[in-house]
Amino acid sequence: MAPRSREGHILFLLTVGLLAWLVPGAGHLILGKKTHAAVIFATILMTLCIGLYIGSIGVINPVGAKPWYVAQVMNTPAVAALGQMTRGGGYPVYGRPNEIGQIYTSIAGLLNLLCIVNAVYLAHLRRIENVGD
Amino acid sequence: MATMTALLLANFTTPETIGVNPQSMLWLLPLVASIAVVYKATKVPKITAVNFLKETAILFGSIVIFMIITALVLCASAWFITE
Repeated sequence: MAPRSREGHILFLLTVGLLAWLVPGAGHLILGKKTHAAVIFATILMTLCIGLYIGSIGVINPVGAKPWYVAQVMNTPAVAALGQMTRGGGYPVYGRPNEIGQIYTSIAGLLNLLCIVNAVYLAHLRRIENVGD
Repeated sequence: MATMTALLLANFTTPETIGVNPQSMLWLLPLVASIAVVYKATKVPKITAVNFLKETAILFGSIVIFMIITALVLCASAWFITE
């Protein structure tokens, strides 16, 4: 396989990062790491769903809990769509369910950020190994 | 089918009832398990069931033990300060 140009490589890294954000684990899948992708997808989605189940979709609050929201959006852009639904305050949640739900969904987002960075790094390493520079 | 879907979605629109009690701290365990699994998935070059489970269990145990030690130290500090 012919090595990619520098621009092509950057575009590839961006694609891997974007795919990994769109669907958790997709970055690893495009690199051929199917088992890693399945484990990452199942675990992050399960963590996000547990958080939403405990605290309801009201834990995604782009108005009153912006720092948490930034971490939550790292899961997938679908969380931003949920944020648009809850923006009006139609799903109020307080107390311990709110705390636990926010922690679960935010940690899931930060874990996906770790996976995005890891996928991009692996894609970059692959080029270095191919080119030898 | 539509009723099932509506019930399923309703679960995600109303929060669960979780009291502020020591038992609610147990909710950290599934989260620690998730962190251990994803972290190890990014670290191991090849996933095999036995090795991956072993690595994940070790990390899970390490995190839980460290958190217990931290909790005990904080409890002891609070006890010394307030007594």
